[in-house]
Amino acid sequence: MLSEERRTEGTALTQPASGRLANPDIRDEFGLETIDMNMGPQHPAMHGLLRLILELDGETVVRCDPVMGYLHRSKEKISENRMYPAVIPITDRIDYMNNMAMEYGYCLAVEKLLDVEIPPRADAIRALMNEFSRIMSHIPSLGFLLLELGAFTPILYAFRERERIQSIMEAVTGARMMFHYIRLGGVKADLPEGMPETMWEYIEGLESHLQPDFIDLIEGNEIFIARTRGVGKITPEKAVEMGLTGVPLRCTGVEFDVRKHYPYGWYKNLDFDVVTDQAGDVEASYRCRIGEVRQSIRMIKQILENLPEGEVMGDTGRRIRPTEGDGIARVESARGEYAVHVVSDGSDTPYRVHYRTPCTVNMQLLQEIVPGHYLPDIMPIMGLIDPVSGAWDK
Amino acid sequence: MQTVLNLLEAEPIRLFLSFAVILFLVLNLAGILTFAERKVAAYIQLRYGPNRVGPRGLLQPAADVVKLFTKENVMPHRADLWIFLGAPIAMFLPAAAVWLVVPFAPKSVVADLNVGIVFFIAMTSIGALGLIMAGYGSRSTFSLLGAMRGAAQMISYEVPLILSLLGVIMLAGSLSFQDVVNSQSGGFWHWYFLPQLPMFVTFYIAGVAEARRVPFDLPEGESEIVGGFMVEYSGMTWGLIQASEFASMALVSAITATLFLGGWQPPFEFLDLGNFNWLWFAIKTALIIFTFQWIRWSLPRLRMDQLMDLGWKILVPACLIWLFVTAGAMLLLPSVF
Repeated sequence: MLSEERRTEGTALTQPASGRLANPDIRDEFGLETIDMNMGPQHPAMHGLLRLILELDGETVVRCDPVMGYLHRSKEKISENRMYPAVIPITDRIDYMNNMAMEYGYCLAVEKLLDVEIPPRADAIRALMNEFSRIMSHIPSLGFLLLELGAFTPILYAFRERERIQSIMEAVTGARMMFHYIRLGGVKADLPEGMPETMWEYIEGLESHLQPDFIDLIEGNEIFIARTRGVGKITPEKAVEMGLTGVPLRCTGVEFDVRKHYPYGWYKNLDFDVVTDQAGDVEASYRCRIGEVRQSIRMIKQILENLPEGEVMGDTGRRIRPTEGDGIARVESARGEYAVHVVSDGSDTPYRVHYRTPCTVNMQLLQEIVPGHYLPDIMPIMGLIDPVSGAWDK
Repeated sequence: MQTVLNLLEAEPIRLFLSFAVILFLVLNLAGILTFAERKVAAYIQLRYGPNRVGPRGLLQPAADVVKLFTKENVMPHRADLWIFLGAPIAMFLPAAAVWLVVPFAPKSVVADLNVGIVFFIAMTSIGALGLIMAGYGSRSTFSLLGAMRGAAQMISYEVPLILSLLGVIMLAGSLSFQDVVNSQSGGFWHWYFLPQLPMFVTFYIAGVAEARRVPFDLPEGESEIVGGFMVEYSGMTWGLIQASEFASMALVSAITATLFLGGWQPPFEFLDLGNFNWLWFAIKTALIIFTFQWIRWSLPRLRMDQLMDLGWKILVPACLIWLFVTAGAMLLLPSVF
């Protein structure tokens, strides 16, 4: 239990949520007290490094203060001290479940300041790898959701899928996780020989075993429905007001996807739907993620069918030195809208880089919607947000 | 030789030896079950499971026990020493003691109590005490929450557990396990799971809850309260809690087999193995344990309020209805029973 000083320290870090007792009358009558609980940062379900200061009335949460900052690695400051191409590996480590989108956003932002034409093949490969990266992030996040509900097996099926994609990624980029593949002006290397066929084969296979391995195991399960339906309910107005993006926004029924509404790169040429759901609860977010995996499969097929020929690297010159000014790029990462703002003073290194990661913004949900829920509901709500500690702390 | 045998048959010595054998059995059972659990989990999750220690990994439990014995026992600061250390024992002894009344074969039962079923109920209730001691004694919010959940769950599920036994007791007309088994003789269509199907299902579900297994492992709830009442335990105290969990799982399976699946009775009369009928008992128990493990690795966990709903709003009414049906049938058709 927290001592009084530590409690006030916690509240000083974040504003207290609308704290209210579930049953104030009973509390007065019997002189009952709420208990404080410190969940995390060393807690198996706290995605590594999140601390929640909870006030509990029995099993009901009356106050939830998330404390972030346990994985702060000064990404933005480090970026200021490196030359432009050398920042890309730094961005890889922001959202380590969906690295490709992180690289993509930074490269797009810098390319706005550079006089360089991206070859169409490079654009197509960027989109292709991005979608693989999205599948690589969405499928384990389904597994994590189930793991947090207490089912251990789906996470292993999910990681089997992730491993297979990682092998493809390794063949293309040379790395299994920290790819450093998208470069300023194009991509590092062309696809290896025979790779499009391998990818096609894998995608066909994924489509056929998505149903038995994930959907059949999860969807009809009554316990899963009982634990997720109506849990973490968000209204569309609230979601827009809080600035949510990605699945937490789309599962409330708001149709917003950067790829669709502010298309970049090869996404202009692709035909896909924005997956939305009306319910706005954890179950809806699960359906959205499955739907997005399906859409990614569709996009990958389209890209592979019309893969343009040619170079994969534009001419950026030997020394990359963007013009003075600032460039903003927004991309749709697996967790929502990821934006990069690069300010250049005309030198080798950026004057200022800002990463707008979706996790940081989406985490506001915890403070807003957790109070009033039961303690075990925090885990599925975390699954709805699907945060990555590297991305919320940077 | 004869004197030795006579000595063995003297009542105090027989009881002492039997209890030693039972304790040996239960402790080994816990080891075997951890191994089985891990192999079943591995099979479901498409991996190998333990396969390094000994042939096919069979010595893994032994290695685990050695590890647990050599580990330091960490006591939380300002924990209540006697309650903290007494809890694992208070959990383990009741789970082991019920084995005394379980009939393994026609003549193999340590104490054929005439109130064996009541003894079983009493001992499982005491198990909840150990759980509360563990949660209260370790002075941690997580443990306390786990213990609160555990107490609520064990007490709520005691009710359907007992109610579902009443049908069998009525049909057998006895509270002794051996009598219940004897009254199920003559082929599997005489076993009580057929006339008492709703009770059988209820007993199974309540049994899973009593053994604190997924989907009812809320006292542990490793994703929210990180192990609940046993979060502060380490070394052999933790090992003892684990052993009692496995012992109570095996116990619930054995009782299910005894009361509803005919205990040591063979499925067909020509398969009667005489004194080796304990094989049938072992097979039935193992099958039920396997279903426990199957559920454990496939399903998510319920929430506390949903658990209470299931217990009080579905299981208890179902039991009561079937109790009346059974009583009515016995009253109206005395010739059949």
